[in-house]
Amino acid sequence: MTDATTPTTPAAPATPSRFKVVLVDDHAMFRAGVRHEIGPLVDIVGEGADVATAVTSVLTNQPDVVLLDVHLPGGGGGEVIKQVHAKNPDVRFLAVSVSDAAEDVIGVIRAGARGYVTKSISGRELVDAVRRVAEGDAVFSPRLAGFVLDAFSGAIDVASVDEDLDRLSQREREVLRLIARGYAYKEIARELFISIKTVETHVSSVLRKLQLSNRHQLTRWATDRRLV
Amino acid sequence: MGVMTATSSPQQPSGPSLAEIAARLEADSAEVSAPAQLPDATPRVEPAEGLSRRRAARRVDGAWLGGVCTGLAAHLGWPVLVMRLVFVLLAPWQFLGVLIYGVLWLVMPLEQPTEAPGLEAASRTGMRTTQQQVRGADVGAIVALIMLAGGLVWLMQTMGMGWQPTVFWPLAFGSVGLALVWRQADTAGLVRQAGRRRWFGWLRVVLGVVLVALAVTIAVATQTGIEDLPKSLAVGAVALLGVAAVVAPWAFRTRSQLTAARERQLLADARADMAAHLHDSVLQTLALIQRQSDDPKAVAALARKQERELRQWLYGETRDDSTLHSAITAAASEIEDERGVPIDVVVVGDDVPVDGSLDAMARAAREAMLNAAKHSGADRVDVYVEGTDHSVEIFIRDRGKGFDPGTIDESRMGIRGSIIDRMTRNGGRAHIRSSPGEGTEIRLETQR
Repeated sequence: MTDATTPTTPAAPATPSRFKVVLVDDHAMFRAGVRHEIGPLVDIVGEGADVATAVTSVLTNQPDVVLLDVHLPGGGGGEVIKQVHAKNPDVRFLAVSVSDAAEDVIGVIRAGARGYVTKSISGRELVDAVRRVAEGDAVFSPRLAGFVLDAFSGAIDVASVDEDLDRLSQREREVLRLIARGYAYKEIARELFISIKTVETHVSSVLRKLQLSNRHQLTRWATDRRLV
Repeated sequence: MGVMTATSSPQQPSGPSLAEIAARLEADSAEVSAPAQLPDATPRVEPAEGLSRRRAARRVDGAWLGGVCTGLAAHLGWPVLVMRLVFVLLAPWQFLGVLIYGVLWLVMPLEQPTEAPGLEAASRTGMRTTQQQVRGADVGAIVALIMLAGGLVWLMQTMGMGWQPTVFWPLAFGSVGLALVWRQADTAGLVRQAGRRRWFGWLRVVLGVVLVALAVTIAVATQTGIEDLPKSLAVGAVALLGVAAVVAPWAFRTRSQLTAARERQLLADARADMAAHLHDSVLQTLALIQRQSDDPKAVAALARKQERELRQWLYGETRDDSTLHSAITAAASEIEDERGVPIDVVVVGDDVPVDGSLDAMARAAREAMLNAAKHSGADRVDVYVEGTDHSVEIFIRDRGKGFDPGTIDESRMGIRGSIIDRMTRNGGRAHIRSSPGEGTEIRLETQR
């Protein structure tokens, strides 16, 4: 408990471009591994092992990005986001998970995480994802893009009766499909003849719709897939 | 201030990749061991895999009463409305519909939602916030149903199709009371209720008992006459108390023994399963990793294979072997193990059974993955499967060295024969986009 919230002095002097990161995971082994891997590239200012310690650590350390496990003692990653955002809505979260349960991943994204990566991501990619989340972009792995496409397409038959449903635009769908096919933002921009900035705008807009979209359709989506 | 604090990682002497993999694997296996240590009073019984479950079961989700109609409708593939209509139409005929419904309610087992072991464990230990999906039945629907039933009974009584009042009222009170108690016993077994709902449950039981008592009272009163009522009731009550006093300790002990035995059995089973699984998979892999620790590539491949398998076991849905999604996923895993190149599969949309042209498509996709893993030199292959109402598309992409699709030479027979021709023969299409240095993307498409 105490060690989980202790701020750590960075090994190297912090430069302004280094992002402050809080690491939340209930496995000390995994925290150690990530710290070992990305510690030289970002400032890991705190850690959390469950919902309570994570919330305390995030609120005291004010990180740029929180690396957040989806499954956590005390209610899961979504609970951390809710409690932190109630006090400080500006904190940005990146979900990191070993579970590929669509329901949980979508749940954390809907709670407010700005992206999702699996734990098998390489250190370099993780640092890159942290940077993008810190700069306000969304990080969509191919898998997350697949989940999101499913989430929205499962709701289409609901849309005919539900007027205020936020549906994905044609362009947003195209971008998501390319992400799911393994394209990087740069490649998507080239493919669709748009700028990288526009790709990022589309992805952020998808994220917003997902976080705002009404509960009903997602519940239905989950029910259809026997996720709940 | 020291460079390292209490939390910072012990600097592993080995290379970063190995340390990382070991850490990940450790994290995984730690996660697995968690459920085994948890004494859980009410673990759900998992249906055996591969066992066909063609048995009608009641469904709480979307049910109005006991879920008989929703369950039957799902079983027969009929619309729920039709089932409900059948029962309602059968009702006026000496309450036949009601009777059948009641019997089915008792006979049909409740559908048990099952989840992957990892998710269940995570739910139990509060590692995730599960949405409470026990949808509180619509108050409006219940009121409408009660009014409808009341009206129906009244109609039949006034039309003389029902029973005599002396029989009818005790019967009516008794059945409503029994229905309340039974329903409570029914749902209480499924969901452990807390707080307000629990209080509500008790209220339901009390109300039901009161109604049954009322029914008995009326029956006795009409049979023996109102003046003898207190005496008859007292006799009945004393008899009941006597029986209860005799039976109580025995019933209590049997019940607690039964519960304890069941708990022990389930716990032992769960532990044995877990131990067997860990032994078969994780321990073997860890042993292999130790022996090959000087070969980072082999270690990475082992760890990845183990991770995939464990994740599938913990969080995966039980996959049906005959669908496109499972066919593609299986092919990807196989090639991944064989060639040591990670293949990430993302599936979206409807899953479809593999038949005729789709079988050819799955084979073509497999060939494309194999090509990418074998020749492209890429360190990863992305596969995307999307099914819509009209078509199925599969994309296989790598960022490897690529080639000129205009000159598919003899050495690339796999592409021409196994992918392009196979797709065309089966009414589909294969589109290959590649250029040297840019990687390759193969797009397969089949109309449905």
